[in-house]
Amino acid sequence: MSEAIPLAGKGPAPEKSRTDSLPASLSNEYQDRLLLEAMKDWEINQAVLEPMSRTGPWFWVIVAVLAAIVAWGLYAWGYQIYWGFGVAGINRPVYWGFYIATFIFWVGISHAGTMISAVLRIFKVDWRRPITRGAEAMTAFALMMAGLFPLIHLGRVWKFYWMIPYPNNRFMWPNFQSPLMWDMIAIFTYLIGSSLYLYLAMIPDMAMARDNTVRWRYKLYRLMALGWRGTEAEWHKLHRALNIFSIIIIPVFLSVHSIVSWDFAVTLQPRWHSTIFAPYFVIGAIYSGLAALAAILVLVRWGMKLQNFLRMEHFNALGKVVMVAGLGWLYFWFAGLIVEWYGNEPVVMELLHEEFIGSLAPLFYLQMTCNVLPIFFLMFKKVRTTPVLLLTFAIMINIGMFIERVLIVIGDLQRNYLPFNWGTYRPTWVEISIVAMTFAGFSLLYILFSRIFPYVPVWEIKEGRLRYTLRRIGRLLIPTAAEIE
Amino acid sequence: MGKTVMLMGLFHESTDTADAIDRLYEMKIPEEDILVMTGVPYPEQALGRHSEWQRMPVIVLVGALTGFLLGVFLAVGTPTLYPLTVGGRPIITGPPAAVIIFVFTMMATIVSTFLGVLWEMGFPSFENKYYHRLVTSGHLAVLVECLESQVDDIHTIMEAHNGHHIQSAERMAL
Amino acid sequence: MKEEKLFAENSPISSNRRWGMVIDLDRCTGCQACVVACHAENNVPVVGEAEAAYGRWMHWIHIERYWEGEYPNIKARFMPVLCQQCDEAPCEPVCPVFATYHTDEGLNAQIYNRCIGTRYCGSACPYKVRTFNWFDPEFPEPLKEQLNPNVTVRTRGIMEKCTFCIQRIRQVEEGAKMADRVLEDGEIQPACAQSCPPGAIVFGNLEDEDSLASKLASSRRSFRLLDELGTGPAVIYLKGGETNV
Repeated sequence: MSEAIPLAGKGPAPEKSRTDSLPASLSNEYQDRLLLEAMKDWEINQAVLEPMSRTGPWFWVIVAVLAAIVAWGLYAWGYQIYWGFGVAGINRPVYWGFYIATFIFWVGISHAGTMISAVLRIFKVDWRRPITRGAEAMTAFALMMAGLFPLIHLGRVWKFYWMIPYPNNRFMWPNFQSPLMWDMIAIFTYLIGSSLYLYLAMIPDMAMARDNTVRWRYKLYRLMALGWRGTEAEWHKLHRALNIFSIIIIPVFLSVHSIVSWDFAVTLQPRWHSTIFAPYFVIGAIYSGLAALAAILVLVRWGMKLQNFLRMEHFNALGKVVMVAGLGWLYFWFAGLIVEWYGNEPVVMELLHEEFIGSLAPLFYLQMTCNVLPIFFLMFKKVRTTPVLLLTFAIMINIGMFIERVLIVIGDLQRNYLPFNWGTYRPTWVEISIVAMTFAGFSLLYILFSRIFPYVPVWEIKEGRLRYTLRRIGRLLIPTAAEIE
Repeated sequence: MGKTVMLMGLFHESTDTADAIDRLYEMKIPEEDILVMTGVPYPEQALGRHSEWQRMPVIVLVGALTGFLLGVFLAVGTPTLYPLTVGGRPIITGPPAAVIIFVFTMMATIVSTFLGVLWEMGFPSFENKYYHRLVTSGHLAVLVECLESQVDDIHTIMEAHNGHHIQSAERMAL
Repeated sequence: MKEEKLFAENSPISSNRRWGMVIDLDRCTGCQACVVACHAENNVPVVGEAEAAYGRWMHWIHIERYWEGEYPNIKARFMPVLCQQCDEAPCEPVCPVFATYHTDEGLNAQIYNRCIGTRYCGSACPYKVRTFNWFDPEFPEPLKEQLNPNVTVRTRGIMEKCTFCIQRIRQVEEGAKMADRVLEDGEIQPACAQSCPPGAIVFGNLEDEDSLASKLASSRRSFRLLDELGTGPAVIYLKGGETNV
């Protein structure tokens, strides 16, 4: 399928490796740090392109199962639209339920991509390089799933376009004071931003894939490469644009989850009406998003055999960031709790009572276990660099964060100022199916993406290799990074 | 001026490439007649070339301003076009307007950055262009537009700096 | 033609009206007549026992019953709660499509055909008096025969709530305007006030100092529900000494 192998075979003469002069033991030790020093450019291309066409029977089984879940979820959505919202489990006072909790969850997941690719790009952190594309794709697909929920949870979804800012036939505009308007616009902005960011950084790799493939892949990559040749001017402009993007997208990413939190915080609902909600949501989003990224990377590395690119040093670094985000989350959670508890308002105390020893206690303690326990385990390098353990704790964190959102949305809505209006909530098969649909849809999009587009950003890795060299300090040879970019 | 030809040579290594380009400059080949293509972004001026001024920042600023004005119109303008009182508040409210203006500014900035960089690069352009497929496999390609009389000299220079695949360049489908 | 004049001026609203309601809890017996009257007047659907038990009843006015004290010295307290028509309503600004807004007469209007069903107002309302149409409304025979033609039947997927019987307010206002006379206090009777056997509910203009509602509202027995939240309700409750109900 690929025509690069014969070309490459007669092509580059062996270039003298910078590690050749090292003693064998040292050379092995530093190869990891020098980011694939031993591999040639065309070998990297092949190592990235080759797993994309490796789709065994299990791959198609997984795709079929995921597609079936998505189809079932679409049926459930149609059922809900046809019969009315009553087929979902929401009621009065729990007007928002599983859908909104899952919505926050997906917006949260989407925050890791920007964190990795924009924040770490600005700080020139090198371990971001092989994982940026995976993180950005996660952002885009998670946002697509999140973006479904504002539609799913509309009572009259066929009128959704009334929220689009244009005047109706009586020249009336939507209400820009409503946090839902902010929400819709902010999520749309973030989706545009992260998709364009993902695409922009992919153009050189599209050219690389174009030069190395044939048939439909060639046609697709050719179209997406837009005619990229890799001239100096192109590189220069691309760098410039990526830098501008990184800087712009950080305030957007902070504002998106803040705005989501304001959906809740601007109401008078006890426990929602809190100024700490915005930073608390943002740090929670980073925590769950980075954990989800770690889990996905472990799975993709295993499924696509990308051990050469996704190395232990990346998992180690990612694990540390997850741990720090977890500590931050714990701090914000406690800062909110202590004020609520000390304030001793009756409704708030009733809600806390429900959480700590009431009907929500099992969920609450499960959530705290899932969220706090991994922080301690991730302190150990052994845990961070053992993929199975990292995967386990990353999934635990996401279960915990999902429950946290359920407790915030559903748990808090069950109680309010007038005890006559207290209620309970049970999700129905419709809600569970639709929520499952988004999980399956995300996985499906992600799996297909990983087989259609180069999962590892090849040009960023090659650029990273340019930066490293070895320097002798006393008896040691230390890898040092050059100040370029 | 005689007839010009396009000559392309491939290099393995960036120092050789930079040296070869210096030799070409000594031959009085103007900078705009030389085009370097790489599969890896080399730092600016690493290959002995000057970078050009870009319109990008201006495009981005214009985009941001447009977004800002759009945000002002939506958050401040539309409520006055069709005033409806909600929650006992004034028709125009500050904090929500700040949010709307911020988000629209950001949205327009992002879109204008993207469109701006594509426009600057002249993308998309699918017509046949001078290119070599080994560029993305780690070679540096130097494309020179020169007079027929200079071809032999340039050939020699490129070979002296470990250039290979030196031939008159072909336009190929991209 | 008087009707022409009415339409030309477009709106009979004048801002010297602030509709309000006074509910005397000392008189309320918890008989639920207001609830039934409201259902009949406003075409409010009945959802059935199972749905109601799950918190999906749609009463625009409901009687909240609280038990007070320990057995055997136990007392039942009744409190009819309806939309409080707040001055600074938390439900209004959160609606993305202006389906709820504040009218010149101080009413918290709900525009059914603008609503897209985000249920944000329902979450924002601290009194939880907004109800949602979970399914298409069903009126079992013979209830269909008594649907009020002056009130629309709402479709599934939208919010609704007490309107202070806006159809009755408009009817009387426009009648008075056509007859070229001043609106009298007590002329407008919402269904709940009209049907209350002990006359616990009084409707009137709170801007008019001489209206019965205004006078009752200035009673030392008056209070407003969740006044501390600062929503400025237009429903004023009266509660005085001990009542044994």
